[in-house]
Amino acid sequence: MALLEVENLHIAVGSGGKLLPVVQGVSFCVDENETLGIVGESGCGKSLTSLAIMGLLGDSTVRITGGSIRFDGMDLLTLSAPERRAIMGNRMAMIFQEPMTSLNPVYRIGDQIAESIRQHQQISRSAARDRAVELLTLVRIPNPSERVDSFPHQMSGGQRQRVMIAMALSCDPKLLIADEPTTALDVTVQKEVLELMADLQDRMGTAIVLISHDLGVIAETCDKVAVMYRGKIAEAAATADLFAELAHPYTRGLLNSIPVVDRDVEWLEAIPGRVPTLEETLTGCAFHPRCALATDFCASRAPETSQFKPNHSVQCHFAGGSTT
Amino acid sequence: MNIINFLRNAFAGRKLATVGFIWLCFILLAAIFAPLIAPFDPLEIDPVGRLAEPGLPNLFGTDHFGRDTFSRAIYGARMTVIIGVGSVVVALVCGGLIGMLSAYFTRLGHFLMRGVDVLMAFPALLMALVLITLLERSVFNTILVIGIVYATTTARILYGMTLKLKGEVFVDAAVCSGAGHSSILFRHILPNLVSPLLVQASFIFAFAQLQAAALDFLGLGLPPEVPSWGNMLSEERIYVTRAPWLLIYPGLLIVLSVFSMNLVGDALRDSIDPRFKDDIAGV
Amino acid sequence: MLAYTAKRLLTLIPTLLAATILVFLFVHLIPGDPAAILLGDTATPEEVAQLSAELGFDRPLWIQYFLWLGNVLQGDLGTSIFFREPVTAVIGSGAETSILLASMTMVWIIILGLPIGVLSATKHGTWIDQITSSGAMLAASVPTFWLGLYLIMIFSVTLGWFPSSGFPSLSDEGGITNLRYLILPSLTLAAPNAALIVRLVRASMLDVAREDHVRTARAKGLHPARVAIKHVFRNALIAVAAAFGFTFAALISEAVVTETVFSLPGIGRLVVQSILRRDYPVIQGVILVIVVLYMVINLLVDLAYARLDPRVSLK
Repeated sequence: MALLEVENLHIAVGSGGKLLPVVQGVSFCVDENETLGIVGESGCGKSLTSLAIMGLLGDSTVRITGGSIRFDGMDLLTLSAPERRAIMGNRMAMIFQEPMTSLNPVYRIGDQIAESIRQHQQISRSAARDRAVELLTLVRIPNPSERVDSFPHQMSGGQRQRVMIAMALSCDPKLLIADEPTTALDVTVQKEVLELMADLQDRMGTAIVLISHDLGVIAETCDKVAVMYRGKIAEAAATADLFAELAHPYTRGLLNSIPVVDRDVEWLEAIPGRVPTLEETLTGCAFHPRCALATDFCASRAPETSQFKPNHSVQCHFAGGSTT
Repeated sequence: MNIINFLRNAFAGRKLATVGFIWLCFILLAAIFAPLIAPFDPLEIDPVGRLAEPGLPNLFGTDHFGRDTFSRAIYGARMTVIIGVGSVVVALVCGGLIGMLSAYFTRLGHFLMRGVDVLMAFPALLMALVLITLLERSVFNTILVIGIVYATTTARILYGMTLKLKGEVFVDAAVCSGAGHSSILFRHILPNLVSPLLVQASFIFAFAQLQAAALDFLGLGLPPEVPSWGNMLSEERIYVTRAPWLLIYPGLLIVLSVFSMNLVGDALRDSIDPRFKDDIAGV
Repeated sequence: MLAYTAKRLLTLIPTLLAATILVFLFVHLIPGDPAAILLGDTATPEEVAQLSAELGFDRPLWIQYFLWLGNVLQGDLGTSIFFREPVTAVIGSGAETSILLASMTMVWIIILGLPIGVLSATKHGTWIDQITSSGAMLAASVPTFWLGLYLIMIFSVTLGWFPSSGFPSLSDEGGITNLRYLILPSLTLAAPNAALIVRLVRASMLDVAREDHVRTARAKGLHPARVAIKHVFRNALIAVAAAFGFTFAALISEAVVTETVFSLPGIGRLVVQSILRRDYPVIQGVILVIVVLYMVINLLVDLAYARLDPRVSLK
């Protein structure tokens, strides 16, 4: 059985009495030691999905309206709040997009890491501090025994993200959710952080869910990929299979909009149009207003998930068709 | 920004603030039409009908001079509006000019804002007391004193907000297109500050009422014969055990009006540009 | 931290000097001969001439200022017209009442304002929040003297629980139990200020709660109460501390009214009575003392702020 199984997940945002669906029937699974990449434009529901898995949707305006999330044999959505908290930061941990603001500015980083450890393990203050130094060494912070007493504002963005990783790894989680962990960082630092994550995964066997809008990052680091568009998974496959043959026109659009160094192109293709807002109701395939292949049929009927190849699923009436 | 839309947004879904706004409209109407509404002359003394209980014909009873409390309360609304509007105008004009000019002309600003800092070292009521010592008791002087006290905070706030706007692209664009200083300040920057100023105005209005009432109570505010709510409380407080209504009505009127103004200010503040929200200190 | 303190102290000096100039000019802004003003109506022309020579009123204004400042620095604030006593002694006699009143008020503000503010913020959007935050705004809209008069009516006149006016010194008969004279005044003075603190704590906690690091804290699996106190409230305290100076200013101002309502022999009532008695040396002295005190309080607030926010002191 997979470590994490998300099945038919629905999330809705409640504004003024009516519920707007933002995630509609998302399913995927992640095994131990495996990295799943979820890619999509902002607003496609990928961050909400990750927050739902983690149990951080807390806000009363966003709620899960259907489906199930199973983690390590437990049905997370049926657990009580204290049971859920016992898992958070312990067997399942998360790092966020904004390293500059994700640490509390008034506490020393060592104390912030120790707080996470002592929440889940019965160990002394000094032992937790030693463990914090150990973790800082692990994430390659120079001078860890001194830096443990630094305040967040004394560190750079890349270092803070390393601290966030150290904090997330403090209780040896089985699953690490990383929501755009490198978006706010410089390109060189980005690479270091991604390598660090891959390295730690090799050592500890942690499963990772990596959320990103950057197909390049996903291609480099993930075992398998799910492409989300407007609350649904448009296409999902093992990374190699996906890039071998892109089945969904949206995925092809995403890829064409990335500059490639070894290919000399005059133009970067942009996907025409924009992501429809939540208030706009759409019939048929959510992508049809922007899709070059769209027909009247696409506008009237939403495609079901179909198998394009073995282990390569897609939601498109014209899977594999050419956009040109 | 369209002021009507701004107000509509601010009060949408805020029942308490809307009630407060309606109450303030009543106060304004009472102030304007005081001679028509008040059944008696607020200054007419009636030695026979002293300390009459509320009822007919004296709705709120009479005070120790036999003056009709209801009529005095109606005329008190007039003083409330005059003091409130007057202080707001003094504070916004003086403080606004100092703040905007200081932010725009940095060299002058350095000098002016240090002066404002010094004035802010005097706590509000204390500064009002000092100024009142130098002046006669009159309606105009009360307005002037309260206005000056709040001009300092207004200057501070406008200074901060103008500095933020000064760095915006549209100001650069105006400079590039050859606009003069006064055109940039008053035609490009000022319109962006209208709604934050409205918020600031409502909080000053509320504070001014409390300060004016406190000055009246200390015998240092409006001349004693002027029918203001503060004076009514101040003059009649020794009769409180014999005639409790003399304290209840003017007191409640002050509380309700200040509360309403604070509610309105709070509602307006929540709907202004979030950049300016933290600049304005209200309740 | 030491360097920061020194720096803040240094920036205080120009403001303080400017404030002393204003306080000095106060007597000169009153129409009439300043020496006659300082001595009051009963002074003989000889006395006026003598004081005029002593304070150098025939010399240029700036020399007069330095003469005055020199006296002030030596602890000489002049002589009260009404009491015929040194101003320092007159102010000193009111100090005990005012300090005790301010301290008790601060205690009320903290034990009422902080917990209610936290409650209001953590129950954000519920009826508890609506009642506490609207209630706080209502409390901030009540004139202090009106509240004081009603507290006297209820708790002194009707119930007879507390004395209605005056305050014998703690060294008089009754000792520490004399503090009961200050319970109603301090509650009166605390009400609007505690209300402001409630609103402030609520607003800053709601601001902090939206910050990313709070989500990080929740992701650690911490109990919501721990997140609310250790992460949200602790960080909101920075903004609250910054506003405590403002609260203290309001306190000094409103103490004038409260001490008058409860006939307390404090510095606030002294100000009002001196104004009504035209006792200018006392007015001038009290203003100077309060302004200096206010600046010192603001400095302490700044230092507390630096302690609360590691980003400030290390800059």
